[in-house]
Amino acid sequence: MRWWQIRKRNDDLERELLCDLELEEEEQRERGVPPEEAARAARRALGNVALIRERTHEAWGLAPIERFWQDLLYALRSVLRAPLLFSVAVLALGLGIGLNAGVFTLLNSIFLQPPTFKDPRSFVQIYPRYTGWSTREDQYSSFTTEDYDAIRSRSRVFEDVAAWQASSVVLEEANKPNAAQTVTCNYFRIFGVDRPLIGRFFVSEDCSRGFAAQVAVLTEATWATDFGSDPHIIGKTMHLNGSAFQVIGVVSSDAANFLPGGIFVPYTMEPLLDRGRDLFNSADVPWLGVAGRLRPGFSRADARAELSTIMSQQDRAYVKRHNSTFNRKTNLALTNGSFIENPAVRDRVVAMMALILGPLTLILLLACCNVTMLFLSRTVTRRGEIATRLALGASRGQLARMLLAESLLTAIIGGALSILLVYRVPLLVMNAIGARQSRFVLLIHPDWRVFGYLAVLVVAATIISSLMPIRAAWKLDLLTALKGRESAATVRSKTTSGLIVVQVAFGFVLVCVAVLFGRLPSLVTGTDAGFDTHHTMAVPLAVDTSAANHAGALTFYSTLESRIVAIPGVQSVAYASLGPFRPVPPQEIRLPGQTVGQGKPVSVDDISSNFFSTFGIPLLRGRSFNSADPTSPDSDSVAIVSQAFAKEFWPAGDPLGQSIVTPNNRRLIVVGIAADTKSESFGVTDGPRLYTLRDASALGGNLYVHFYGDPKPIENAIRDTVKALDRTQIIAPETIWESLEANAVQMTSLAGIILFMASVGLLMAVVGVYGVLSFAVNHRSREFGIKMVLGASRQTIFRSVTLQAIRNTIVGLLCGAAIAQPAMSTLARFLSGPFPLRGLITFALGVSAALLMAVSLVATWLPALRATRSDPMQALRAE
Amino acid sequence: MTSTKDQVKQRSAVLQGTLDMLILRTLLYGPAHGHQIGKHIQRTTNDFLQMQHGSLYPALHRLEKRGWVTSKWETAPDRNREFKYYRLTEKGRKQLLVEESQWKQMMEAVARVMWPTGEES
Repeated sequence: MRWWQIRKRNDDLERELLCDLELEEEEQRERGVPPEEAARAARRALGNVALIRERTHEAWGLAPIERFWQDLLYALRSVLRAPLLFSVAVLALGLGIGLNAGVFTLLNSIFLQPPTFKDPRSFVQIYPRYTGWSTREDQYSSFTTEDYDAIRSRSRVFEDVAAWQASSVVLEEANKPNAAQTVTCNYFRIFGVDRPLIGRFFVSEDCSRGFAAQVAVLTEATWATDFGSDPHIIGKTMHLNGSAFQVIGVVSSDAANFLPGGIFVPYTMEPLLDRGRDLFNSADVPWLGVAGRLRPGFSRADARAELSTIMSQQDRAYVKRHNSTFNRKTNLALTNGSFIENPAVRDRVVAMMALILGPLTLILLLACCNVTMLFLSRTVTRRGEIATRLALGASRGQLARMLLAESLLTAIIGGALSILLVYRVPLLVMNAIGARQSRFVLLIHPDWRVFGYLAVLVVAATIISSLMPIRAAWKLDLLTALKGRESAATVRSKTTSGLIVVQVAFGFVLVCVAVLFGRLPSLVTGTDAGFDTHHTMAVPLAVDTSAANHAGALTFYSTLESRIVAIPGVQSVAYASLGPFRPVPPQEIRLPGQTVGQGKPVSVDDISSNFFSTFGIPLLRGRSFNSADPTSPDSDSVAIVSQAFAKEFWPAGDPLGQSIVTPNNRRLIVVGIAADTKSESFGVTDGPRLYTLRDASALGGNLYVHFYGDPKPIENAIRDTVKALDRTQIIAPETIWESLEANAVQMTSLAGIILFMASVGLLMAVVGVYGVLSFAVNHRSREFGIKMVLGASRQTIFRSVTLQAIRNTIVGLLCGAAIAQPAMSTLARFLSGPFPLRGLITFALGVSAALLMAVSLVATWLPALRATRSDPMQALRAE
Repeated sequence: MTSTKDQVKQRSAVLQGTLDMLILRTLLYGPAHGHQIGKHIQRTTNDFLQMQHGSLYPALHRLEKRGWVTSKWETAPDRNREFKYYRLTEKGRKQLLVEESQWKQMMEAVARVMWPTGEES
């Protein structure tokens, strides 16, 4: 029987019962019962008709569906009676669910989806783990050329196997680094991209080894940003890392965005792009990512078995070749190619998703709290009705189901609304991160995972938001409720206090995270680094400084230096061994007389003599280096130390003239003290730093230029100078400030998103606290009235309400801190590197606590004021 | 002493296991409507089994759902009006045999415990 026939069934049953009743009545009459009593007697004989009906329905096996439907219909009627409340609840849940599901959609397509839309089931990505060999010990990596060749030639399970390597090249037409992929010619086909947007893809000759086809395919994004969507791009020449490539095609955004690269070139071009290295002929270097398509009828297990055989043959060959020095053994991981299945990063991806979805879950929980509050207040106003139901014999289970149906209805409608957000949020997030990334959104298609997640959220929201109201209905005291004289005893302070504590705690965690992130961008750009970041430019060079080319390199550097200094606007040129804002490996510096191990860790910067003037770091005492100072690593010499160094080694004495010992037992005499800088981490003063003088004839090191005025023309001039001297140099000079800013822009947008979400959370928390308190105050108005009659002043009542709220807020803040502190520590560990987030945690906790305290005081004020307006007369009359 | 309420309870407990079988057996005489079935069982057992409509109708619908009986609205031969007549199906007939043999086995088993052969002699 089908459930939609239920109405017909029901009519049928009614008719049957009616017939029976009539027959019974007739019989009663025949038995001599007076006609006027026969009807009643018949009814008595038949028994409880409602019960028969119910049992029969059970027999149909459809009772649960029917009951659910009834509950839902009833819920619909009951929410229509309070439309405002219902819409607020739906909006809150819709927002909470939508933000979650929207961000999840994004995470889904970045991390969880396989990288192909076309028949993802046959797509397999393979990761090897080479154990027991010289490099890359025991971690998942890429394949070596030989292993890829072996798989490609011997595999029967795979229809086709593609390989690629991700790298970064400098696209000289755009004068900036661009993501690139060196790929085998079947790459696009394996990834399910059949045809190019314009032009053509690679043909197999392009990828045959020893055949140099300098051709490239652009992604639509690179085509648009760097070539202005030039319609005549096909056949044009561009330069990658100094080599000319002919553009042969453009791959559409929809497909290429899945692939991380901006430019694709045949993998045979790798030696050309990666100068000085030839990975094809380095048999033991893993560099190729490998993915394939299964032949129809074969499973991933077949592939695993076959590949294991092939790889163990390869392992044997390897051991033979290396005279058994290394006992290589290869394990394989076969995945669907999604990020989260990549065994090398899985844990980090999971942790990252938890970190992103965690705060969002808090927002949803806050929304649930709000809805709980709304439903709770309704349950209380409806307590008369509920009591009547209970008195008439409804079980508490039925009651709970009824309330659950109301929550479910709200959550379902909220969830349906949130689908709008599911489509909007990823676009907003990506736009905020960068216009380039927003193209990515084109291929975000919510799939079953998204809708599954949505369903889970809806169900969770339903249950969470209906728990409290059900509890309130459950504990309803029938007698007092029926009399309509129920005191405040049913929904007393425990529930309301609990709600306030929870909302304050969640709001607090959200605000903490937002404060932490909000400070990040300004940490990057806003702090005074202690040197001139705006007018110091790094000039990245790649020069062959090997002994064979020593004379050539020497000429190159000296010529370049003189030509750069000649550029109008350039003031000076300097070298340093350390780059700014990069982690520095410390060295052990000792005082004379200390043995190895007794010294202290110090970062050592080997600099040219005009370093301080170029970077604008003031010398506080003593002198700078001069050309007469010895520079040979064997001879003793002079050194300049930072303030922090001086304080660390000679807390009381005068550092000038003191001597120190370097790890290679060189004795240095301190001749000057330089100001501290903040060059290792953003906003943090560096630890002890030692400057040594660089050998004037040394090669390599980082080249920095100090200049006046606008950086752009200087950047161009420097690039042209370098290019004129050595055409093969791949160079994009940038001021230190510019590189900082590029970092900060991304972070600012990220911070913006997080700030927005925290604001939503905070708003929900405030509304929630306000709602809870208003509810509590309304509920206790009679109590307040009586208190007043008994002599309590309005101030006393105001104070009692606010004090309780403050107490709850403080408890909430403490609970929140207990969640936020470890969460932020984890976050800080995640973003460790240049950011001193650890130091910010206390600050974030403090600021957030103050903010929440203020905000919840505001939310308290109005209900408390209302409490003082309780009318004593009314209270008395009611008693 | 057992109260009347307990007696009723006991009877319906007996019924619960056998009601399906009794209904099927009743329908072996020919199609009947709910009221007739109930009355028949009551009369045949000399009013020992009081037919509770509360269990009769659910049972009838359950049997119908299992395909052991079919139902049809038909005009009663002695009256000028329609009743819902239940009719035994072929499947129902087989089911009756199954239940009957099970019931017999049950009775024999119970009898062996209650009146062992040694005691009789």
